[in-house]
Amino acid sequence: MSSKEREPVQILQGTLDLIVMRTLETMGPQHAYQIATRLEQVSESLLNLNQGTLYPALVRLEQYGWIRGEWGRTENNREAKFYALTKAGRKALEKETERWRTMAGLVERFLAEEA
Amino acid sequence: MAAWIRRLLARVQGMFGGGPSDEERAREIAAHLALLEEQFRTQGLTEEEARRQAHLRLGNAVVIREEVREMSGVPFVENLLRDVGYALRQMRKSPGFAVTAVLTLALGVGVNTAVFSVVNGLLFSSLHIRQESRVVTVGFKQKGTPWNSSFSFAEFHDLHDQTKDVFSDVIAEQYGLDGLSVQPLLGRFFLPSEGETPGADPVIVLSYAYWKRYFAGDPGVIGRRVTLDGRPVTIVGVAPREYKGVITLLAVQAYLPLAMVTQIENIPADLWNKRDSRNIAIYARLRPGVTAQRADAALMVLARRFATEDPASEQDAAMQTFPMYRARTGNLDAQNATGVVSAFFLGLAGLVLLLACVNVANLLMVRATVRQREMVIRSALGAQRSRLVRQMLTESVLLALFGGVAGVGLGLWGSAMLRSANLQTDLPLYFDFGFDWHVFLFSVAAAVLAGVLVGLLPALRVARANLNLLLREGSRTLASGGGRFRDALVVVQVGSALVLLIVAGLFSRSLTKLEHVDLGFNPSHMLTLTTDPSEIGYNNGQSRDFYRSLLTRLRALPGVESVTIAGSTPMGMINNASDSVTISGYQPPPGQGPPVVGYNVISTDYFHTMRIPLIEGRSFSNSDDEKGLYVAIVSEAMAKKFWPNEDPIGRRFTMSGDSAHVLQVVGVAKDARYLDINGPIAPYFYVPFLQHYQQSPLQSFELRTVGSPEGVISEVEDAIHGMAPALPVFEVKTMQQALDTPNGLLLFQVVAVMTGIMGTLGLALAVIGVYGVLSYVVSRKTGEIGVRMALGAQRADILRMVYRQGLWIVGIGLALGLGASFAVSHLLRSMIAVSATDPLTYIAVPAILAAIALLACYLPARRAMRVEPMSALRTE
Repeated sequence: MSSKEREPVQILQGTLDLIVMRTLETMGPQHAYQIATRLEQVSESLLNLNQGTLYPALVRLEQYGWIRGEWGRTENNREAKFYALTKAGRKALEKETERWRTMAGLVERFLAEEA
Repeated sequence: MAAWIRRLLARVQGMFGGGPSDEERAREIAAHLALLEEQFRTQGLTEEEARRQAHLRLGNAVVIREEVREMSGVPFVENLLRDVGYALRQMRKSPGFAVTAVLTLALGVGVNTAVFSVVNGLLFSSLHIRQESRVVTVGFKQKGTPWNSSFSFAEFHDLHDQTKDVFSDVIAEQYGLDGLSVQPLLGRFFLPSEGETPGADPVIVLSYAYWKRYFAGDPGVIGRRVTLDGRPVTIVGVAPREYKGVITLLAVQAYLPLAMVTQIENIPADLWNKRDSRNIAIYARLRPGVTAQRADAALMVLARRFATEDPASEQDAAMQTFPMYRARTGNLDAQNATGVVSAFFLGLAGLVLLLACVNVANLLMVRATVRQREMVIRSALGAQRSRLVRQMLTESVLLALFGGVAGVGLGLWGSAMLRSANLQTDLPLYFDFGFDWHVFLFSVAAAVLAGVLVGLLPALRVARANLNLLLREGSRTLASGGGRFRDALVVVQVGSALVLLIVAGLFSRSLTKLEHVDLGFNPSHMLTLTTDPSEIGYNNGQSRDFYRSLLTRLRALPGVESVTIAGSTPMGMINNASDSVTISGYQPPPGQGPPVVGYNVISTDYFHTMRIPLIEGRSFSNSDDEKGLYVAIVSEAMAKKFWPNEDPIGRRFTMSGDSAHVLQVVGVAKDARYLDINGPIAPYFYVPFLQHYQQSPLQSFELRTVGSPEGVISEVEDAIHGMAPALPVFEVKTMQQALDTPNGLLLFQVVAVMTGIMGTLGLALAVIGVYGVLSYVVSRKTGEIGVRMALGAQRADILRMVYRQGLWIVGIGLALGLGASFAVSHLLRSMIAVSATDPLTYIAVPAILAAIALLACYLPARRAMRVEPMSALRTE
């Protein structure tokens, strides 16, 4: 746990998919444990997620055809399923990122106005 | 490919075991857990603590797998399949219940299928005409007359020529066949020029059935010359198989160009051209984009033009389009009897289905109570209520579908029985009550509706039930809570059954009454038969001479007491002549045309043979021929209507079909029933054959026999064929048989049987309902009864207790049913021959129903009396 006393954040609906895809884009093929660990690192444990919450997102992305899973071995020679972005996944990530930026910018603009 | 489609495909694939399997997911999650454990171990936790922390970090592995499994399939379909499988297993486990429920629903659906297939055949089945939905029928009316579908040739012509902007085709189907049908099967239909000039185009188109039957389906039939009523005509075409004409029930055998009818039916040319000599039905096809309203507006304009151009025969004329189903029973009027009767029978059939549904719903509710524990436990284990409800509904809809399939079978069998009903006539009548997609959709809808109705009640009870209460109090709460409601359902059953039975009672009482009604003549010991000498080429004069000598011959036969010619027989469907008459000294009510009166063309011995007494004046004699004074005998009703409080003898009137001759009344005969077996007797008159033989060569003979009428048939036929060997003799019947026509008793017989079947079904279902609910109450209250008996209650007290509830249910049901029956029979009053409040029916039927229902109470009551207090208390 982080030492800082901050309220954990609830993840926004749909953003988990984007985060997972982005993680796979920057880190290359990853298994679920790695993705979860990476999430905790980046969010500085702000995202208080059960690691199991990742699985529905992984299944969904796989069904969309945006990621593909393959069994492999970790450096400690344990078996794990590694997920990698597909070609369609890269395209989708680009589009989703664009969408998110627009959306976030829009919300930010409203918030700025308020202040 | 859009991502969501890919996802759906992946789900469907998952449903059939494609994609990553459940085991693979489990493996993946296990691997994940192992990695987490390793992490915690390296942080220095103990083996056990590391495993605990790993599980905490990941979350509930089972829930995750569950969630993922839901995602990799199509849950709706999967659940449905699972529910269906479950329902089937449940049915197999209690086959008695399943069979009872399916059979009950099959009866309900079957009655509806049978009734609807008849209604559909009468009104809605396809006529197999081109662009059927665009074809309308045209109605005509003048002030004081109802809408009817008769036009004169001249009117048809004007309509044809002057409505081209709204109609693409104007068709007179009655005698000619033009643009209605699709393509001819063989040859051609008529040319536009054919049918214009009376008698000019001796061509004929055969119906498929006639071609098959009399020409053995010979494809070389086109161009062959045949004789039609003694006149040569050439076959130019054969109509397609499905096409049977427009009028329901009457199968057209062949088609002639419109104007040929003058020759075949011996209609004088001047009568043919008269504007108010109307007997052609007109159908029209709306032009694309033209609405019925626009066509009506155009027809209104045309009708006004008719009225100004020819005020004598077109006064206050009005024309309007009607949908085809109104034309099919030949009655355009709003009080369309066929429509009303159809709706009425569908309503009765609906009641039977309701009764069946209530019984099955009750069965299901009892079962729901039995299975309540199961439901409670599943609910407590986290099953969603909606899933439980859906599961129960699946079960009931499945039951209903099985019931529906069996019901459709039953219904088709029933309508086949109706179709094969012997109409005892040589007329080409047909019943087309086949199974088409209308009937199919109707039956499926009835079955599904029944399933939902039947399943919803018990399912909602489960959904609403308070689980905590149920778990604590065992299997009691739901049962007693449903008691009042179940009683109400059985009350409805008893009431509905009473309605069905009273309707059946009224019809069977009507039938009995009509079978013994005073017809005004004596139908026993009489034989009738019909011939048409024009079929062997006789002209009207030759026919008259033939008939005259045939009368003499038949009279001389030993078994024959007397014999007469009659244009039509009572309740018959041939030659039912009527004409508008102008009566000197009688002014029709303002705004009304001349009255239309039915009449018969008869020979001298008619009244004696029929045993119709003459009240006044004389009968016809042989001197009443073309050289003599033209005479008529009127019925009592006609005399009363047109010459009230006056002596009708010597009065005069003219028929519009024969305006050259003024008829003088020479006699008054007692009223006899001719056209309708029920209702008030309409005015009627008789004219002598020797003065009116030109009207029709087709005549019936009526013979009064000494012994049984069947005994003289062969002698009579021999006598006829002795004079004219090739002359066909048809409709050979005893007078009693002749009365069983659709105009006579036949409809009452059919209706009495149909309502009787539905009433009996309703009675059986209601009695089962009463029995079921009381049995259930007794089985539920075994403990209470035990306590009462232990406290000193006598067996009679227990009997009273059970009966009290039975009496309430039956009593309230009967009261409600009586109220409903009064309302229903009020609607029926024009269709029945007894009063709509016939006391015998209203006393006997409820009494019988009550007696049987209370008998049904006895079985559970006896079981209650036999309860052994000790054993009852012990099981409690």
